[in-house]
Parts: sequence; C-alpha cells; structure tokens
Amino acid sequence: MADGKIRVLMSKPGIDGHWRGGIVISRALRDAGMELIFGGFQNVEQCVESAIQEDVDVIGLSIHSGAHFAYVKRLLDLIEEKGLTDQFMLLVGGVIPARDFSELKKMGVANVYGPGTMTKDVVEFIKENIKK
Amino acid sequence: MRREYDIDLLIRKFKEKDKIALARLISIIENHPEKASDIFKNFNHIKHDSYIIGITGSPGVGKSTLTGAIAKRLLKEGKSIGVISVDPTSPFSGGAFLGDRVRMTEVSLDPNIFIRSLASRGYRGGISRAVLDITLLYEAFGMDFIIIETVGVGQSEFEIYNLAYTIIVVMVPGYGDAIQMQKAGIIEIGDIYDVNKKDLGGADIAAHIDMMLDDSTFQGGWRPPIVQTNSITGDGVDELIENIWDHKEHIELSDLLSEKKKIRFAYKIKELLYYKIDIVLESLINQDELNHITTKALENKFQIYDLVHDLFSDVKFERKSKS
Ligand SMILES: Nc1nc2c(ncn2[C@@H]2O[C@H](COP(=O)(O)OP(=O)(O)O)[C@@H](O)[C@H]2O)c(=O)[nH]1
Ligand SMILES: [Mg+2]
Repeated sequence: MADGKIRVLMSKPGIDGHWRGGIVISRALRDAGMELIFGGFQNVEQCVESAIQEDVDVIGLSIHSGAHFAYVKRLLDLIEEKGLTDQFMLLVGGVIPARDFSELKKMGVANVYGPGTMTKDVVEFIKENIKK
Repeated sequence: MRREYDIDLLIRKFKEKDKIALARLISIIENHPEKASDIFKNFNHIKHDSYIIGITGSPGVGKSTLTGAIAKRLLKEGKSIGVISVDPTSPFSGGAFLGDRVRMTEVSLDPNIFIRSLASRGYRGGISRAVLDITLLYEAFGMDFIIIETVGVGQSEFEIYNLAYTIIVVMVPGYGDAIQMQKAGIIEIGDIYDVNKKDLGGADIAAHIDMMLDDSTFQGGWRPPIVQTNSITGDGVDELIENIWDHKEHIELSDLLSEKKKIRFAYKIKELLYYKIDIVLESLINQDELNHITTKALENKFQIYDLVHDLFSDVKFERKSKS
C-alpha cells in the first residue's frame, strides 16, 4: 500500500437548510475510491481544524445560504493565518449564481458547482488535479 | 497539487506540539509503513504512556456520539485526548464514508483533543493496520488518553482487544443487537457494557446482558459492569467514566495492565513479521506464476493444494547465521 487515497472533507457552513446535494456528492466521491470525511454543519474554525486533523486534500463546501463570499473569505483568511495557503483544494457547491463563479475562483476557489452539477464532473476534476 | 512532506521538519514541529505536523505524520505512516522507523527513531527518549480505551459495537449504536461525550468530560478535567475512529472501506470502490467526526463537533475545537478518522482500507484483520502506529504517535505527542472507536463486527473486535486496555462494548435497546453480539463473540470482550440510547429504554437488555455475564467466568477477577447512557444528553456518562476509572485501577493494581501492554506489542511484532514475509513472498513468486496456477486450478479445482505446494517446492527459506 504505497499510495494514499484522496481525502475529502465535506462541510456545510451554518445550519442553512438541506443537505441532499452534499450527501449525493459525498457518496459519489466515495464510490470513486476517495475517503470522504463528513463534517456536517461546521463554522469556519471547525471546518479548518477538521481539514488539518484529517489531513485532507480537498475541502468541499455545500452552501445554500447565499453567504458564499463572506464564508469563503473567512475560510481562506483562516487557512492563510495557519500558514496553509494553497495546501487544500477548495470546492464550492450549492445554490451559487453563475455570475459569482469567476469572483469565487479569483478568491482561490478551485471550482464552483451550481445546481444541476453532474457528480462525475466533480470526481473527474478532483482526480485530474490531485495526483496520488 | 501534491504535498511533499519533509519528515525532519515535521518531527521538529511535532515536538512543539503542532497538530498540523501530527496530522501529516499520521498520513505518512498510513500510506508509507516503510517510513515508520524513520519517524519513530526520533522518539526513542520519550517514555510517556497514554491510557487506551476501546469503544466497539454495531454501526449506529452511538459510539461516536459517546466518544464525544466521554471526551468532553475528560477535557474538562484537563486531560488531553487522541481519538481514532475507524470506519470500513468499501470493498467495491476502495473509498470510504467516514461519518464519526460529525458526532464530535462540540469538542472538536478544544486545544487538547485531536480526532482522526481512519478507513479500514482492507488491511489484514479488518481494522486499519495503521491504528497501532497512530497510538504510538499519540503517545509520543503526550496524549493522556487515546480512544479508539471501531465497528464490532467480524474480526475487528479481536484487534481492539489487542490494542486497548479498557474495552467498552456499546449496545442499544432491543434484543437483536445483544444476540448478534453474542454470536460474534463480542459479549466476551467487554470490560464495561454500555446500553446506549437510554431515552429509548434498554433496562431489559441490560438485565439480559447481566444474565449472560452470570454464565461467564472472568479473567483476573473483574466482573464487567453494565451501564446505561444517553450519549446525546450525557445522562449516565459520568457513571460510565467512573467505571472506566475502576477498571483502570483494577488492571493497574492486579498488574493486568502490563500484560495488556505486552499483548499490544506482541501483536504488532507479529504483524510486522507477516508484513516482511509478504514482501519476501512477492519477490519470490511473481504474478505470472500465480496466474498460471490459477488457470490450472480452473482445469482441476481439486489440485489447488498441490499447485500451491509445488510453487513452493523450489523456495527455500533460511536464516543467515549471525556471526
Ligand atoms: N436517541 C438517541 N440517539 C442517539 C444516542 N446516541 C447516539 N444517538 C444517535 O444515533 C445515531 C448514530 O450515532 P453514532 O454516534 O454515529 O453511532 P456509531 O455508528 O455507533 O458511531 C445518530 O443519529 C446519533 O445522534 C442516544 O443516547 N439516544
Ligand atoms: Mg461512529
């Protein structure tokens, strides 16, 4: 067993409604051979601490509150504060308007998935960009 | 994107109690067992022992929630805790859905706790091979307590038996679980039995376990107590912890603890030997030969013993004499 598995933290900021999208993606990632750590509802600190302790490659955020800019900014700030800039691939999914995608990517989000995302696209994106 | 880990730098940070370094050393040990000795040789001077608690039981009985509830109380007493939660790897995809940490969110930001979820990854024996190595890392880190959570079905409980000093078997109201546990031999390994989800009843099942225990003989003079908890509200958890202290004291005073420590390492040493033999075997017998005898076995299935035996006929194991 020489090579590691891709580890992904699935996290949901605040208690902002349904989980289905996050769970569907989580299952798809597991079925694609990844180790999925289900974080559930977490604040920024809990999310970053989980990502650190679980040593994940990917942080997936499932956001339905509309507060994606504020949350992503605080998350990236905290990651920077810990000296971990660029150590995690950050993916954001949920009800994100398409017009916000490019701004999120500029902030440092690797990819954004709006409603109607195919799970296989997420799987492919992660596998292409994280070599393990 | 691929992170490179520099072991020397990580060790330096680890010694400063840096959790990022601890997390990464765990990953290295999990993915590259051959690097374990490079890591552990830095800890030769460390004498610290952690007390290891095992929590086992069927999926969904509340092991992770209970781990969080126990941790919350130990943290309040100023103790440091390393948690290892093992969940099964899917044999089909090789992936895993690790849903333990989500039950421990309340304690997850305490500076004195570190929680790691581990997939079983199909290593020999069920539980992840890495578990003992992670307990060693936690001990080097200076944790007062280590809590290992594993699903108690099939083989895994035997390994928890080899790793932990106090084992808590968790059940829920309803006889099905108890009978299943008895079949799987789990009823014999508990030092403490906890009927969780007290809010849903369970007095009857507690009495049932009590009866089953009446029929057992106990090694070392410890009669496992039975407690009932609600791990969500914390009701009964103090009593459970009292029982952990009692058992800890019992095995310390009766010297069973040193016996258990011996088992822990004997088990690991055996595992390391098997690991070495695996490597030797792979170098001696190649995939083509294996494919060849598999094809032959398809032609005559009653030959399989002879085929394997023949494969070994020109393999000679011997020890170099040490002079
Ligand atoms: N009613 C009730 N539910 C509980 C209790 N403890 C845990 N649960 C719930 O049982 C489910 C499984 O809990 P979890 O800790 O993940 O179980 P595990 O699979 O054994 O680790 C979760 O929905 C918990 O909230 C309890 O004492 N009472
Ligand atoms: Mg669990």
